[in-house]
Amino acid sequence: MNLKKPGSSKPEPGSYQPVMPRNWWLQHRYFQIYMLREATVLPLLFFIGCLLYGLYCLSLGETQWQHWLAFMAQPWVVLLNLLAFSASLFHAKTFFELFPRVMPLAPPGLMIAGQWLATLLVATGLVLLLGGWL
Amino acid sequence: MQQLQQDIIVVGGGGAGLRAAIAAAETSPTLQVALLSKVYPMRSHTVAAEGGAAAVTLEQDSLAAHFQDTVSGSDWLAEQDVVEYFVKHAYQELVQLERWGCPWSRKADGSIQVRRFGGMKTERTWFAADKTGFHILHTLFQTSLKYPTITRFDEYFVIDLLVVEQQIAGVLAICFSTGELVQILGKAVILATGGAGRVFHYNTNGGIVTGDGMALAYRHGVALRDMEFVQYHPTGLPGSGILITEACRGEGGILLNKDGYRYLQDYGLGPETPAGQPKNKYMELGPRDKLSQAFWQQQQRGLTADYHGHAVVYLDLRHLGEAHLASRLPFICELAKSYVNIDPATAPIPIRPAVHYTMGGILTDINCQTSISGLFAVGECASVGLHGANRLGSNSLSELLVFGKVAGEQAAARVQKMSLAPVSAVAAQCQHQQTYISSLFADSCDDTVHAIRTELTLAMEQGCGIYRDNAGLQTCLSTLQALKIRYQQLKVTDNSKAYNSALLQHLELGFGLDVADTICRSALARTESRGAHQRLDEGMTQRNDSDFLKHSLAICQPDGTAAISWQSVTITSLPPAERHYGAKGSGSAGSSV
Amino acid sequence: MSKTINIARYNPQTDSRPQLQAFQVESDNSTSVLDALLQVQQQDPSLGFRWSCRMAICGSCGVMVNGIPKLGCKTFLRDYPDELTVSALAHFNVEKDLIVDMQPFLTHLAAVKPYLINDDQSSQPHRQTPAQLAKYQQFANCINCGLCYSACPQFGLNPEFLGPAAITLAQRYNLDSRDAGKTARMPELNSKNGVWGCTFVGFCSEVCPKKVDPAAAVNQGKVASAGDFIISMFKP
Repeated sequence: MNLKKPGSSKPEPGSYQPVMPRNWWLQHRYFQIYMLREATVLPLLFFIGCLLYGLYCLSLGETQWQHWLAFMAQPWVVLLNLLAFSASLFHAKTFFELFPRVMPLAPPGLMIAGQWLATLLVATGLVLLLGGWL
Repeated sequence: MQQLQQDIIVVGGGGAGLRAAIAAAETSPTLQVALLSKVYPMRSHTVAAEGGAAAVTLEQDSLAAHFQDTVSGSDWLAEQDVVEYFVKHAYQELVQLERWGCPWSRKADGSIQVRRFGGMKTERTWFAADKTGFHILHTLFQTSLKYPTITRFDEYFVIDLLVVEQQIAGVLAICFSTGELVQILGKAVILATGGAGRVFHYNTNGGIVTGDGMALAYRHGVALRDMEFVQYHPTGLPGSGILITEACRGEGGILLNKDGYRYLQDYGLGPETPAGQPKNKYMELGPRDKLSQAFWQQQQRGLTADYHGHAVVYLDLRHLGEAHLASRLPFICELAKSYVNIDPATAPIPIRPAVHYTMGGILTDINCQTSISGLFAVGECASVGLHGANRLGSNSLSELLVFGKVAGEQAAARVQKMSLAPVSAVAAQCQHQQTYISSLFADSCDDTVHAIRTELTLAMEQGCGIYRDNAGLQTCLSTLQALKIRYQQLKVTDNSKAYNSALLQHLELGFGLDVADTICRSALARTESRGAHQRLDEGMTQRNDSDFLKHSLAICQPDGTAAISWQSVTITSLPPAERHYGAKGSGSAGSSV
Repeated sequence: MSKTINIARYNPQTDSRPQLQAFQVESDNSTSVLDALLQVQQQDPSLGFRWSCRMAICGSCGVMVNGIPKLGCKTFLRDYPDELTVSALAHFNVEKDLIVDMQPFLTHLAAVKPYLINDDQSSQPHRQTPAQLAKYQQFANCINCGLCYSACPQFGLNPEFLGPAAITLAQRYNLDSRDAGKTARMPELNSKNGVWGCTFVGFCSEVCPKKVDPAAAVNQGKVASAGDFIISMFKP
């Protein structure tokens, strides 16, 4: 179908074109929470950095490994990693809640519970495996 | 003034207009079809239809049964050849819509589900939950996007038809976004502008339903037929008039007065059927005119309740259960919660009758052709002769489709042998309109559109309501005459160009005043009671076939008022009989199968 | 009781940007923002806004109420303090007062081929079970009001982004058991202004007056688009 409207392809003369302000994401709570969700990547980056650094130290030998363990025990590092942990939990929560809407396979409540259960199982399995109990 | 040329011009982007445009485009892919609408097509009032669309579907049903229901529902004022054509073609049109993607509600095996509706002796109403009009309109709109030869003119408001020697030559419109006048020449024009419910104060209609198309044709000498028949829908929300669909009753909802009594059994619709077990043509499934009249009778006897100053009765859906309501009537639940703060699963909904539909309209023949060659009309703005004195719920959505297609095809057939009128032939008419529009503006004016419109709608409510009498109609008529004089002095004080809604409302009010005049004068002339037209005057309370088995025709006089004449009714196979519902109806000719 | 309604006025002939103007309106328990605007129009007939059905189905009366996209007819003054601000829908060009240019929205809708595509020529209705209907039914409930576009920062930043309603409509037809047009629609959804323009802010679903959940539709579209990409890798 065609459309006949004077100046339909471009804004009509005299129409006011709004501009998005730079701080649009501060404008209301919904956008702030969205930005917080996006920002969870920052502490997680720190956590991944720690892990990679640990692997690198392991390859250098015992002394370096001890050095890394000491580094990881420092209060500010523990604090940052706790932050990363809670950020990942927050992100998981938002993700688990969105997932049933994108893939409506079962009632949303059931799917959300299932995802948390799966997370718990995988985490416990990993702890047991790496801890040498399995 | 911008000048454009098209082959076919469709005025109105609702169900009928879209169906006509698609039919025209399918008939001949070389024709340029213009679709003008004063709003974006998906805003058209078809969107608000809730209940469904009728067509003979079930094995135990028959075309003859649908025909009889429609004719007796019309109180024998329907054109029977038109009804025959309609019932025969309705099913295929609903299937066509299905094939275009309409999400009709289904049975478990995937076939089409049908529901009960008032005045119909068996289930034959197709529905898409309780948003049937919405789904029909969006399906048609989206399907129309497939056709490159349909050019949409969104938010163009037609102010006049261009007519040269009783032949249509095009339309003159205001482009709402710029305020400019645009002259569009065409070989055929299809009016599909909807009804005029907004000339009444309490109505179920959207703000755009102002009778524009009816007045456009009427001012050029085309007769408006059966204008006295205005349908009150028995279940509108108090105050706003928001529609609560008849499907509520089709699903088993019951009507109660203030004492919790099912009063319909006192008005020839009984005996009482058990709650939740509706029976076609009994009680709540009687026709709309009878139900609205029963409300009025209850109000006279002081048996209605009060809801913030409005007399109401109650629509009780509680016994249907929350799950059934959520699947069959979700929109009704949403409306009741938003607008009267009631959850239908736990409390009855206060309701009262509100003006819903204009049975009358632009006189056309069975091909949707009016008395101006090349001018067609279809849908609520037209009177093709389907509804007579009372429309059955769910016949009008099917009508849009059946006759929308007819109008589109007829227009397409016509234009192939026509040529455009020369611009010079319409120049004077356009110039005249341009001068008129310019003369409407002034810096100040004591009167307002709002003031005149309020008085108009209240006068119509008073004089041309569910029951009418001579004194009330005369008072209404003199009010209308006074308002017309005030309207002539009225000025538009907003002189801006872009989106000047003050100008549009001014013009809509002018159209509404003309339509109101035809309603009032037709009602005065019909000194009998039939269908939706009920007179209280002595000697007029019964149907009078010997004098009034006729259509009224309102024709515009030079002074702008309507003169009423009469036209005979086409009767093919069902001679007039008494119209019975409830137990009485099961034996009579009018409603037996 | 009386409430103050601040309306962002804009007259293209005289103004360079919208300016707030305060009006007093009478409000009771059932007064909607649309009712309030109609009251204001009685005081000042030059006020421009769109409306029709006043029952939340025609989709005309979308406005920003205190910065949040709302349908005027379904938003009630009782839910606001003594003062509220109404402005034109965000992210669209303002034409006059509360009237915006809806053209980009309609262009995007048309771009996704929102109609059934199939070669089937039968004159009988298709069979479609309630379960098949339920797959797309929610997405067919969009009233084209445009609130989701005003809620979508991605559309605000890039007006070429197809946006929530158009992608939802594409998804509505892609999920319809009667349709065979998915391959015709996917290129538009796969394009840079298609589904991948969405970052799942999710505000579109929050403001949707008909609970259509466009965010879900868009992200279902991402799954479809990813599937499309993987399949194309294995094709010669």
